[in-house]
Amino acid sequence: MKTLSILVVDDDPVLRLLLEKRLQKVGHTIEIAADGYIAKELLEKKRYDVVLTDLMMPGEIGGIEVLEIVKEKDKTIDVVLITAHSSVDTAVQAMKKGASDYLEKPINFDELFLRLDKIANVQTMYRSAMDLRLALNRTEGEAAQTIQMLELLNNKLQQCIDDVEGELLAVDPPAEDKIITALTILGAT
Amino acid sequence: MIKITPSELTLVSQYIHSISGIYLDKSKTYLFETRLSSVAESHGCSSFQELYNKAKREPAKKIEKDIVDAITTNETLFFRDKGPFELLQHKILPEVIDARSNLSALKPKVKIWSAASSTGQELYSIAIVIKELLRDNKDYSFTLLGTDISDAAIAQASYGKYNRFEIERGLDKRNLQKYFTLFGDSWKIKDEIRAMVNFKKLNLMQPFTALGKFDIIFCRNVAIYFTLDDRKKLFTKLANSLTDDGYLIIGSTESLTGVCPLFVPKRHLRSIFYQKK
Repeated sequence: MKTLSILVVDDDPVLRLLLEKRLQKVGHTIEIAADGYIAKELLEKKRYDVVLTDLMMPGEIGGIEVLEIVKEKDKTIDVVLITAHSSVDTAVQAMKKGASDYLEKPINFDELFLRLDKIANVQTMYRSAMDLRLALNRTEGEAAQTIQMLELLNNKLQQCIDDVEGELLAVDPPAEDKIITALTILGAT
Repeated sequence: MIKITPSELTLVSQYIHSISGIYLDKSKTYLFETRLSSVAESHGCSSFQELYNKAKREPAKKIEKDIVDAITTNETLFFRDKGPFELLQHKILPEVIDARSNLSALKPKVKIWSAASSTGQELYSIAIVIKELLRDNKDYSFTLLGTDISDAAIAQASYGKYNRFEIERGLDKRNLQKYFTLFGDSWKIKDEIRAMVNFKKLNLMQPFTALGKFDIIFCRNVAIYFTLDDRKKLFTKLANSLTDDGYLIIGSTESLTGVCPLFVPKRHLRSIFYQKK
């Protein structure tokens, strides 16, 4: 199982510490931000696989704003929101804005681990799909150039054969003249 | 997954050819198994023979549709290989518009057909190119038609909603934000582009003269599934559906050599297009 680099954003110091310890224990790399402003700064410097953020935080940058900052920067980063039961509606709105999932407080860690496993699987598949696509595009691009070159060459040769044929079948000129013209056409190709 | 026997393979292969024109030989055994197993199971069949019998007997043709959907649904991307769209933007559209403008004082009409439109990415990409090139210029009228044999593909194309796998490569950030709306994990095409296009079901093996003549036809990566004989017929029909100075664009790894003598290949930058002789 792929381990994830996760940015945890939460203004509650107890929950922050708890999340950090539990997630580190299962092998993920954790960085923490005590509010949306610190999160914003960290996101400008570095890419994370997942951002796990509280929905309600003091100041202008809450969970929704963190989500918007992440999605503006890189759509392949997954964002999971932590919400109080009362703000489930907001969490659903956040899903429409591109959040991958949300968890209600109090956090059930088994549930959190399961969701992160799912995200890790999808990210792994996404990456291999992109690798395969890149390889496919490159192969296809090279094949296309060869095929197109042959297509044009073939067309040119066909035209030449048609011209030679037309010349040789012509009625008027003497045979030697026809052969000379035909050879000139062939020589020019 | 249900295994296919050699005799079932022959039977199902002929059946698929008869309903869709697609010819799958022995080398595509995996395609039958990976794609048709779930169709068989969803109709309560435990073998391909049983699926075939049931499909032939069923008057509503629901199984037939499911089989066509399963076999023909392929991944397509927005601006899949950039060549054809650059060709359209820098060479073909300016030439067509120029030619039509000189023709009459009336509002020039340009008809474009995406002959195997699948889930719509190609036609929407064409629409985006036109929108980018002409902005809100109302001096020209465009008809953009997408056809496909699969009902499921037509339905998805008409709805215009794509997941991130289908969208984020190929489309740059600017066009994505400009022409799509984020919907959870998916993106939906905006109405201004949706309104430019039409999709309808069509089997390319059937006659299509009723569609009229087109100035530009895209027929990419579909004929590769046809027999040489069917390919010859298809491109002859396409030649008849193209205006005398019209443009045909086929897949970047396809060739018309030995398929249709009515067309001449022409090169622009790194891409090839075809015109009638």
